[in-house]
Amino acid sequence: MTNSYAKDQTELKWKSVSTRRVKDKVANALSFVVLGTMIVILISIFIYVLNAGATHITWKILSTFGNTSSGGVLNAIVGTWMLVGMGLVFSLPPSLLGALYIVNAKSNGTISSAARLFTDVLTSVPSIVIGLFAYLVLVIRYHMGFSLIAGGLALSVMMLPYLLRIIEISFKNIPKEQIENAYALGADDIRVASRIYLPQAKVGILSGILLAVSISAGETAQLIYSAGFNNALPTGFLHSQVAYLTYVVWTGINEPTTYSHDLAFVSAMILVLSVTALILISKYIVRRK
Amino acid sequence: MKTSNKFFNFLTLLMAAVPAVVLISIIVFVVYYSIPSIKYNGISFFTTYLWNPGFQFQAPIIRHGVPAPAGSSFGLDLFLLGTLSTSALAIFIAFPVSFLVSLNVELYLPARIKKFVVSMIELFAGIPSVVYGLWGIIVLEPLLFNNIEPWMAQHLSFIPGFKGEIYSGAGLIASGIILSFMITPIVTSVIVNSFDTVPKEVKDGLFSLGATKWEVGKYLITRYSRASTVGGTLLGIGRALGETMAVLMVSGAVTNVLPSNLYSATNTMAAAIASLLDSAFTDSTGMNLAALAELAMVLMLIALAASVIGRKIAGRGALRGYESD
Repeated sequence: MTNSYAKDQTELKWKSVSTRRVKDKVANALSFVVLGTMIVILISIFIYVLNAGATHITWKILSTFGNTSSGGVLNAIVGTWMLVGMGLVFSLPPSLLGALYIVNAKSNGTISSAARLFTDVLTSVPSIVIGLFAYLVLVIRYHMGFSLIAGGLALSVMMLPYLLRIIEISFKNIPKEQIENAYALGADDIRVASRIYLPQAKVGILSGILLAVSISAGETAQLIYSAGFNNALPTGFLHSQVAYLTYVVWTGINEPTTYSHDLAFVSAMILVLSVTALILISKYIVRRK
Repeated sequence: MKTSNKFFNFLTLLMAAVPAVVLISIIVFVVYYSIPSIKYNGISFFTTYLWNPGFQFQAPIIRHGVPAPAGSSFGLDLFLLGTLSTSALAIFIAFPVSFLVSLNVELYLPARIKKFVVSMIELFAGIPSVVYGLWGIIVLEPLLFNNIEPWMAQHLSFIPGFKGEIYSGAGLIASGIILSFMITPIVTSVIVNSFDTVPKEVKDGLFSLGATKWEVGKYLITRYSRASTVGGTLLGIGRALGETMAVLMVSGAVTNVLPSNLYSATNTMAAAIASLLDSAFTDSTGMNLAALAELAMVLMLIALAASVIGRKIAGRGALRGYESD
């Protein structure tokens, strides 16, 4: 103890004020350069994709159906939102009600923390494992075929833990007194859920939905072997394949014709724009509150 | 208690169990479908690097009571090596960058700009992986092939692995760089969040003793949030291990050829599942599918271990990824 104190004392003696200031300046400059480089690189990727999309975009690409080497990407645009919507249909009810169970003080504590643990672990299942699971179990075992339902279910596996955690956090931000008062006045759980939890956490839930939508719109690996691809719109929920934008990007860029590349660039631009817009809107509504 | 309320409570309990049911059924089904491969390949699945779907038009051979196409071979070594090396390179780039960026954001940037920069970093975490892959193919690969890799091969050839033939730009370096772009925003976001939890009083106390900002960072902030820094890094590694599409696009997706140097094409477990599943459909014995399921099982084990350990170290809350509440 005394030794290290003495050592500190000697260190302080030979470290003059000016060297310490210089060190501070160097750290500032170095980390600033790294920050700047990172932002420049990321923005340049962003601008490159937007620019590549903007130079190749035509009305025909936006307004017609097609595959990855001819026609347009309208089927992929619509299909993406159909899949995301389907994923939301499957993942929103369990995440809302599950979060209500987790935050309810009268719930079994062990079950609540187990539910939280499983939610966290589910987030880190690699997307291709979800994709393989969807293919083996949904598409083959339960005979759904490549379809809107199989793709939506595969996406919902990824959306569920995100949504549940964000909704749980926004429920937890509600003042405890308000909930206790409601119970003290004789409200039951349904009333507390519908009159306090849902209205108070409205903004948090909405921003969570927007984030989950933005993430799942950019997913590919879950969908390759569950949604398939379609040159037109799907005709039903089962056994009818669906097109989506990330597939066009992935396949288009690997095809030899320049027109396929154009389709890939335009799809990438649409993806980046919609994802960015969704994240910005979600941040905006949270901040405005 | 009213029946409707009882029913409602039961319903919420059921729904809270959905994540557990989903996770357990993924694990159970993936293990179930890999049983034929576990029986057929045994330990050789982990000791060979050759992956061969076999001949579909010959009579299947039977080993340990399980049929498989003649001439087939399933070994994960090449994919495991690729997964580990690309993730290692990614974290080797992403960790120092994230750490320095977080320090700068926390200590030196004015509060207003800090908020803006953090939001921007979080925005980049949301860019789809195929978009990074697209950029990798069109911009990064030619750059590596024409400029960077020839320079490295010429000037750094004294380092083992840096000498040799340049493949096409696609490979370990391209995959590592793209992965590092994808995980840097996530790791940075976690580290900034944990830096923010340092109590202001302690920070102010240190400043009032005459410490420079760098000293506050070095002696207080980084030590205070060491656990969540490690946890966030592990979370980033977990992401990198499981990333599929971007790596599939820039790795070269090679099979049966071990990398001979840093510039060789590579492949990862996740990318291999995505690219080999197509041809596995045609195998009438189902062994190709079973082998891919076993590959998925191993990948899932590694990725879950990384993230569970990361969460254990950092504690819940710090690891919210980029969805800041």
